Amino acid sequence: MALRGNVYRILEDIVGPQNISEEPVILDTYAFQWLAETISGTKFCTRPEAVLLPGNVEEVQAIIKACNRYGIRYKAFSTGWGPWNTVEGEGVLQLDLRRMNRILEIDEKNMYAVVEPYVIGSQLQVEAMRKGLNCHLIGAGANTSILASATSMAGYGLTGIFTGYSNCNVLAVEWVLPDGEVLRLGSLGSGAGWFGGDGPGPSLRGVMRGMIGALGGLGVFTKCGVKLYPWYGPPTTPIEGIHPLDGMPIPESFRVHSLTFPSWEALADAVYRIGEAEIGYVMGRALPPGLIPALNVGSATEYAQMLQLVSTEGMMDEFKYAIQIFLGANSARELEYQERALEEILSESGGKIILMLEEQSVKNILFRHLIKSEGISRVFQLAGTFATSLGAGTSWDAAVASSKFGEQLKRKYIERGAIADDGGDLAWGGAYQHGRFGHLEEIIMYDFQDADSLKGADEYVEESAQATIEKSLGQPISIVRGMAEHFGPTSCDYHIWMRRIKKAFDPNITADPSFYIEPEQPPGK
Amino acid sequence: MTLQDYRNDIQRCSRCSLCKWLPLAQIKSWRFANACPSMVWGNFHAYSAGGRMIAALSLLDGRIDYTDKLVEIVYQCQMGGACDVSCKVNRDLDPLEVMLELRAKCVEDGQVLPAHMVMIESLRSDDNVLGELKAERGKWAEDLDVKDITKEKADVLYFAGCRYSFDQDLWKIARDTIALLKMAGVDVGISGKEEACCGGRAFEIGYRGEFTKYAEHSIETWNAADVRTVVTSCSDCYGAFKFHYPRIGKKMNFEVLHITEYLDRLIKEGRLKPTKKVPLQVTYHDPCHLGRLSEPYIPWEGVERKVLGQVVIKDPPKEYRRGTNGIYEPPRDVLRSIQGLELVEMERIKEYAWCCGAGGGVMEAYPEFAQWTADERIEEAKATGAEALVTACPWCERSFRDALEHNGAKIKLYDIVELLLEAL
Repeated sequence: MALRGNVYRILEDIVGPQNISEEPVILDTYAFQWLAETISGTKFCTRPEAVLLPGNVEEVQAIIKACNRYGIRYKAFSTGWGPWNTVEGEGVLQLDLRRMNRILEIDEKNMYAVVEPYVIGSQLQVEAMRKGLNCHLIGAGANTSILASATSMAGYGLTGIFTGYSNCNVLAVEWVLPDGEVLRLGSLGSGAGWFGGDGPGPSLRGVMRGMIGALGGLGVFTKCGVKLYPWYGPPTTPIEGIHPLDGMPIPESFRVHSLTFPSWEALADAVYRIGEAEIGYVMGRALPPGLIPALNVGSATEYAQMLQLVSTEGMMDEFKYAIQIFLGANSARELEYQERALEEILSESGGKIILMLEEQSVKNILFRHLIKSEGISRVFQLAGTFATSLGAGTSWDAAVASSKFGEQLKRKYIERGAIADDGGDLAWGGAYQHGRFGHLEEIIMYDFQDADSLKGADEYVEESAQATIEKSLGQPISIVRGMAEHFGPTSCDYHIWMRRIKKAFDPNITADPSFYIEPEQPPGK
Repeated sequence: MTLQDYRNDIQRCSRCSLCKWLPLAQIKSWRFANACPSMVWGNFHAYSAGGRMIAALSLLDGRIDYTDKLVEIVYQCQMGGACDVSCKVNRDLDPLEVMLELRAKCVEDGQVLPAHMVMIESLRSDDNVLGELKAERGKWAEDLDVKDITKEKADVLYFAGCRYSFDQDLWKIARDTIALLKMAGVDVGISGKEEACCGGRAFEIGYRGEFTKYAEHSIETWNAADVRTVVTSCSDCYGAFKFHYPRIGKKMNFEVLHITEYLDRLIKEGRLKPTKKVPLQVTYHDPCHLGRLSEPYIPWEGVERKVLGQVVIKDPPKEYRRGTNGIYEPPRDVLRSIQGLELVEMERIKEYAWCCGAGGGVMEAYPEFAQWTADERIEEAKATGAEALVTACPWCERSFRDALEHNGAKIKLYDIVELLLEAL
C-alpha cells in the first residue's frame, strides 16, 4: 500500500523531496533489526510505508499534524538500534531524526547540555570533556542517542554510581505530542531555559517516560537538556596502542581497579558501602566472567581460545564475584580519601584487588572501554547476536538476586547447547546514584541462524521474564511487546495508567503504539 | 568469495550504526565525528555500510529488485573503507568486501552507471579510465632524461598511473618525482606509452573481468621483464597492487613501494639530504588507498564452526584487515625530515582518515558529492590552523584542487614530493 498521492506530496512539501522516500531498498534498511528474528522469524520486521527525515521541530510538528489529519501512524527514532524502533502494521511512517543532530548548548556553569535527537554519546562526551565535564553514557554504547536514552528508553551505564542514569538525567524537554502540539516540559515551560526537568513549569516526566520510556509510542522528542558531571581528566583523551590492545592512559586523577569478593553477599554489601561512602566514578560488573576473555581479543576465534585458556587455569573463579571500580577526584586529597575508604571497605568485606588486572596496559584498555562506553558490542561478535533479560531495575539487592537466578537459569540452556557457553555468568550492570538503584541484566549470546539456538534464546527470555514475577525479581530489561500488559498486574497496574495516558495524549492513535501500549485492552486479558 | 558467501556475515549486522562513525574512542569533536561521507551526504540508513549490507541481503532474498535508487545507493560511495575499520573494532564482519561484491553483482546483472561505462570503454580502447588516447600516455615525461624500461633495464620501474599520465595539471609532480629519484642516484625507468592502467578502479566499480585482465598484464609484464622494484606515486595504484592484485593468485616477483616509502628510505639511507628550510605549517591527508586500503589482502578459505555451544568461529582462523597496517609513518617521516616544516595533525588521520572524495568511481559519476567530500576534508584541514594541506595521491590532489577552485578556501595544497624537492 503506497501513500495516497496527495499525502505523499503534502509530506514531501514539509521535508523536501530529498528527505522522503518510499523506495523499497530504503524501507528495508529500516525494517532490518537486531532481534527481528524473535518477532518475525527473519532479519526484517515490518517495512515502514515511507521514511522521512525531518530537519527541525516545525517539520516534525507539520508531519504529525498531517498524520492526524489523514489517519496515518508514525514512529520516530534517533539512532534506531533495536527492534522497538521498527513500525508495526501497514501504512506506518518512520521518522528518522538524524538531520536533527546539533549540540545546542553546553552550559559549563550550570552543568547541563541541550541536544537534538541525533547527537550520540561520544559527540557530547568529547565536547563536554573540553570544558571539564562528562555525560552519562549507556552501556549499550556511546553510538546511541543521548536524547533517546533520556526521554524514551531505559538507560544504564557504568558511570551510574557517579552520574546517575539516563532516566534521572533528563532536564527540560521539547516534546511534539501525538496530536502535533508542542509541549515544553520543566523549566522550558516557564521560559526559564533548560536547567530543570521538574519545574518551574510542567513536570510530566513520569507521564513522558515512566520507567522504560514510551519507545516511540507517545510523540516525538525534539530537544532535551541533560545533566553533566565533573570530568577529572584532561580535555582531550588520547588513545595509545594498536587495536584491540589500544588503551587510554589513565590520568593522575583516576585509579582503576578490579575487585573480587568471597561471595555474592560480600560483593553486594561492599557495593552498598561504596555508595554510602560516595566514592567511585565508574563502578559495576563491566567484566562478568564470560566477558573477561573478550577484553583484549580481536575475534570470536580468539575469544574462544582465551576462554578455554582461562577456564582451564581456573582464572575465571577470581571473577565470579568481581566488579570494576574507577576512583576519580579533583584533588589529591579527595583521591586519597577515596582510596582509603575503598581499602577499608575491602578489608571489612573480605574483598581484594585482582592483581592480574593491575597491569598498566590492561587497565588502560579497561579505562578506554568504560569511560568511552564502547566495549559491550562485543556480545554481538561471539555467536552472532545476543539477548538480555532479568536486571531487576530496582535495588542493588534485587539485582544481585536476579543475577544469581539468571546464572542458574542460563546453565540449563548452556547444557542444552542452545546458547553460548560463556561460563554461565554474564550479569552486566551496577549500582547507580551512590547505590540507590541497582541493575544486573543476564546476557546470553546465541546464533539466530541456528533454529535450535534461536528457540532456546526465545525460551530463555520468556522463562526469565516469567520468573521475575514468580520470584519477585523486579522488572526484566528484555524488551518484548506486551510488556506492560504482562508486568502491570504485578506492579500497581501501571499498564492501566499507561493506556489512559496513551488515549489522553493520542486520541487518534497516530503514534505507533506497538512497543508502548495498545490503547485498547487485548481480548481475553 | 561471492556476495552469497557473505550471507551469514551480512545477517549478523546488528544495525548498530558504528560504521557511520569513527571508532568511538577516536572521536575528538562533534564536528568531525563522522567516518562515512556517503551517509552524511545521503542521510538515509541505506547509504551506510550497514545499509548496503541490508540492501545486499534484500536483493539476495528477492525482497527488492534493481531500481535506479538501489544502483545509486550502491555506487554513491567512494569505497574508502573507513566504515570497515569502525565496524571491525568489535565485530568479525567485512562490510567493505560485501560492498565490493555487491558492485560486482550489479555489473554481472547489467546494473551499471553510464559514467562508469565511459571509464570502462576508455579502459578497453586506450588502457586508461580517463577517456584519453593511449598514444598520449607517456607525454608527461617527454624531454625527461629517463630510461624507457621497454627498451632497457633499470633497477626501479616508476609507475605513473592514469591520473599522473593524463592530468596535465599534475604532470609537474610526476616530473619532480623523477628528478628526486635521479638526485638520489636511483636507476629509474618508465614504461611511457606502453604503461597501462593498474585496473584498480575497474575492480572498485565492479568490473572484475577488466580488473583481472589488467592485473595479469601488469604482473606478467613485470615478471617477464625481471623488474625488481615498482615505485608509484599514485596511492590508488598502490592500493590496487597491495589489496586487489593478490586476489588473482599470481605470484609477483617484484616489490611494490609507494613513492613516500621509497623517499623515506632514500632519506634514511642518506641518499637524499633535505637541507634547505621550508618554513611552513602543514597538515597531512592520508589517502585511503595508501592508508587503510593498502593493507595487504589476506586470503582466507575455510568454514564456520561452532565451539562453546554457539560461539561461531572461522576455521582456520581468519585474520581481519583493520587498517592498522597501512602506510602512515613514511609520508610523515618525509615531512618531518624537512627543516622548518611543522606537521600538525587533523582529527581524522591514518586508518580513521576522511576520504578526499575521488575514489570508487564517485568523481566520475557523482562529481557534486565528490566535491562536497573534499570540502569537508578541507574544512578539517583548515581547523588545524595549517597553512597547507599535503597529500600523496594524484586523485586526492585532483579532488582537492577542484574543491579549492570552487570553494575558494584559503589553504595551500602540495604533494609531498613538491615540498621535499624544495628542501633539497
